[in-house]
Order: sequence, then C-alpha cells, then structure tokens
Amino acid sequence: MWYHRPVINEELLQSLPNLKIVASSGVGIDHLDLKLISSYGVKVSNTPFVVSTDTADLGMALMLASSRRLVEGYQIAVSPDTEYFPADWLGAEVSGATLGIVGMGTIGYKVAERAKAFEMKILYHNRNRRNKEEESAVGAIYCKKIDDLLQQSDFVLLSVNLTPQTHKLIGKRELELMKPTATLINTSRGLVVDQDALVEALQNKVIKAAALDVTYPEPLPRDHPLLKLKNVIITPHIGSATKKTRRLMMENMMESIQAGLAGLPIPNEVL
Amino acid sequence: MSKKVQAIYLWWHKPVIDQELLQSLPNLKVIANSGVGMDHLDLKLVASFGVKMANAPRAVSSSTADTGMALLLASARRLVEGYHIAMSSGMEYCEADILGVKVTGATLGIIGMGSIGYKIALRAKAFEMNILYHNRTRRKEQEEQAVGATYCETIDSLLQRADFVMVVVSLTPQTHKLIGKREMELMKPTATLINISRHSYSKPGAVVDQEALVTALQTGVIRAAALDVTYPEPLPRDHTLLKLKNVIITPHLGIKTDKATYMITEEAVENILAALNGLPIPSEVLPS
Repeated sequence: MWYHRPVINEELLQSLPNLKIVASSGVGIDHLDLKLISSYGVKVSNTPFVVSTDTADLGMALMLASSRRLVEGYQIAVSPDTEYFPADWLGAEVSGATLGIVGMGTIGYKVAERAKAFEMKILYHNRNRRNKEEESAVGAIYCKKIDDLLQQSDFVLLSVNLTPQTHKLIGKRELELMKPTATLINTSRGLVVDQDALVEALQNKVIKAAALDVTYPEPLPRDHPLLKLKNVIITPHIGSATKKTRRLMMENMMESIQAGLAGLPIPNEVL
Repeated sequence: MSKKVQAIYLWWHKPVIDQELLQSLPNLKVIANSGVGMDHLDLKLVASFGVKMANAPRAVSSSTADTGMALLLASARRLVEGYHIAMSSGMEYCEADILGVKVTGATLGIIGMGSIGYKIALRAKAFEMNILYHNRTRRKEQEEQAVGATYCETIDSLLQRADFVMVVVSLTPQTHKLIGKREMELMKPTATLINISRHSYSKPGAVVDQEALVTALQTGVIRAAALDVTYPEPLPRDHTLLKLKNVIITPHLGIKTDKATYMITEEAVENILAALNGLPIPSEVLPS
C-alpha cells in the first residue's frame, strides 16, 4: 500500500480471502488496525530504516529554511515589485542555538548527529534514555520532563511515532511553555500536535514560527488558517521523497511481499 | 563636529569614504568595516591620511556556512516547490513533482575552502557526504582528515564527480566567471550548483556566468541551482533566472542574522577601541 491507500477495513479484508500480506510504505503504521488485520491471518510489513536519513535531512532543511526566512526571501527575490533588497531584514542564527528533539529514535538521533555539526546545543526527551556513549557522541542532554526541553529550546523538533500516548502531545500547555522566539518543527505525524492550539499560538505570537511536513488531514482544506499564516512553512509530506529512497522502499516492500507469499520469514514484519 | 570624529563604523558600504570626507575629518584615526570585503575602500588613499582600517572576519563564517547548507537542502529536497504545492489552492500534483535528490551520502564539491568553505565541510560531514574541495592552496592533512575532504588539484575533477557544487570564493579577477559554460558541461546532469560567493560592491560581474547558467538549466545540462548572490542585486524583474522552476534565489541572506550582526558590531568596536588606545588592532587591514 502507498500513502495509506487503499484503506484496510473489515469490508476489504472479507472480500479478499486469499490475502496474505499488506506491505505498507514508510515507517508509520498508525493508519493500520493491526489487531483486525491479524485476526484475518494477514501479515503486515513496513519500511523502517530506509526512510531515516531523508527524514532527518528534511528536518534540518525545515529548521534552516524557517530560521533564515528562506521561502520569504525567495518571494522577495523573484517578486515583480522588488526594487532593492531591504537592509534591515534579518533571520535567526541556527549555529549555536538550542535544539530540543522530542522522540530520539532512529530519525531523532540522526537529526542530533547533523545538528551537532552546526554547534547546536542538543536536548532530548524520549520514553527511554539513550546510553552514555550515544548521548556523548552527539552531546545530547536528556530531559526527563518534556517541560524542561520546551522551556530551553530555540527549536523543538518532533520525531515520535503516533500512538495513543503521543496523540496531541504538543497542545496549548506545551506551546505556552516554549519560548516566544522558538520554532516548532514536525516531521512525525500531524496528530502529534493539537493543530487548533497551534494556530492560536502562532496567531498570538506565543511561539515564533512552525515548519510542518505533516498535518492532519493531508492535505489541509484550502481555507485552513495554517495556510494563511506568514510564520508557517508547510511541505507536502516529503520526508522520504527522494528517488533513491523511494526505490529502496519499493525494493523492501517487494522482498516482504515475496517472502509473505512463499510462507518464509518476512523482512520488516510488524507484529 | 568634524574635529571630534575619531572613528567611522562602516555599515555595509556607507558612508562613502572619499578624499573630501577624509580631508574634513582631521582627527579620524580608524575606519572599522562591518563584514569582510574591503573593495569599496581605496585602501591606499585612506592610509595616506594616516587612518587605520579594520574588517570583521570572524563573525561571518558560521552564518554563511548555514546559508550554504540551507540552500543545498532546500534545492535538493525541492522545498520551495513543495511549499507552493502544500500552501496553494487546489493544485493537483503527482509524485514526480515532489521527488528530490538524496543529500545523505551524496558527493559535495566545495570550491573555495577558506573559513566558510571549511565550516560547510564540517556540516556536510555530519550528513555523511563525500567531500571534495578545490582551493588555491591545499589545506593541511589534519584539517583534511578532520572533515574527510579530498583535494582536487584541478577544478575539472571536482566538477565531474560532485552531486552538489558549492561555490564559496571571493570575486577577484581570477574568479570572475569561474563557473561558465565549460564548467557546467563538466558537471553531472543530476548535479546542483550553489553560489554563496562574496561579490563586490564596486566591481561588476559575478563568479558564475549567469547567461551560461540559464542555458544550462533550461537544457538539463545541470539539474538545478540555488543562488544567494547574483549580478546585479536584485536581478532585473524580467530576467529568465526568476522564472525557472529549478532555481532558488535568495536576497543575499549570507550573514543576515541577529547573532551575526551583533558579533560583527562587537568585532568592529574591538577594532575601534584598540585603534583609539594606540594598541594593536585585532583585524587590521593594510593596503597591499
């Protein structure tokens, strides 16, 4: 399946008696009712690790683009009305700033590796603490309470899975804990953020800006307030959208499908 | 009033320092420049009045390196195009419109490995990029090893192998039109050109041959370009570069951050205070 289509529901499963495997693209499996699918004896696979570096790269791209006002700058550079470039127009520095990573799994850790090279101070919040070697390799400081991370970060980057526990993880309370000069970056799932609370926070300058590769729904309805805010960048869920990675994803899915059909152990099976 | 002026802090290139101004300020001791480039100043003329000069070299490198990486990532991942698709009204798009090129593990060729080029190499290394560089002089072995950079004695060998070509030189007679038709044809058709070179306020021209670039982008000789500097700035509103889908142009973001501005001013103040106290000036610039 590609991009959550087709929808795997009771009706579909009943109509396909010989279905053996659902191979899902990407790492997220929040769109699948695993219990339901398993009850029909159907296996499930995803493509976990192959998407990690591209998603981390995009997280960095969004942080830099937002902070340095790249999209706004582009619009000035190409606008038919531009006569000269404004002299007092400034962005915010990324190098040396504090990055708070919420969700330090594979993707979060790769973001930390990249951010370290920009001499960023790195804080992280995770269900489990990483070991000392992993922490010191990227100079990351553990925040047991998410509040500590939110209060100190110039950039808050979300790279968690979507689960019942992370649903609306970032709401009004969390946004108010963030610095008014902070930027929220989301490369995980739209539902991790309370979107209405985010709109209000951006409108009232509770936080400075947001850069989102994911929203709920995707795409947003065309009259959604997020699309009108100047301090928001949205990209169309391109976290893993490179030719190389898409090819690798498809190869992984083919391997899983072939193993599933042959009754062999399935690579990247989701249990 | 003019007898009281002992120091001038040049913000970008104003005020203009000419004979008339220098003659009207008999007690002027030092001119401190914001930023690195000094070619808007007649160094010999200023020195002939016994006035010292200084620039602000340290503050600029991280901000400019960040700009280079921001442009590289935005171009590779088609961020501006993606933004328009996500934010526009009712735009149909297909997969091919949003697929970008992978940055992690790709080959970056840095042309000009000064302090900015080196900071770019440090950042690119964290993206597991394979780093090639071309410079007037080769860096020390430890410096090369620290970023895993391979020296390319000829620019050609860099151009042929790089997925991303980052140009970080100053504009001089030697670097004028350094990247022209010949250089672009040596590049891979899948490659991206990024230009964050320091240009001149007084000398015309650019490091990249813009007409050749237009042709190269239109005919698929290279994949895309991202330019923080153009000639002139801004480009005429009917220039083809403004219309090409595979070009990102930014309005000389370079060092335009709050932090860099603060640090440049700090450096300038250090220079001014040293000059007024008769002490060695940290970033003195002498007429060569």
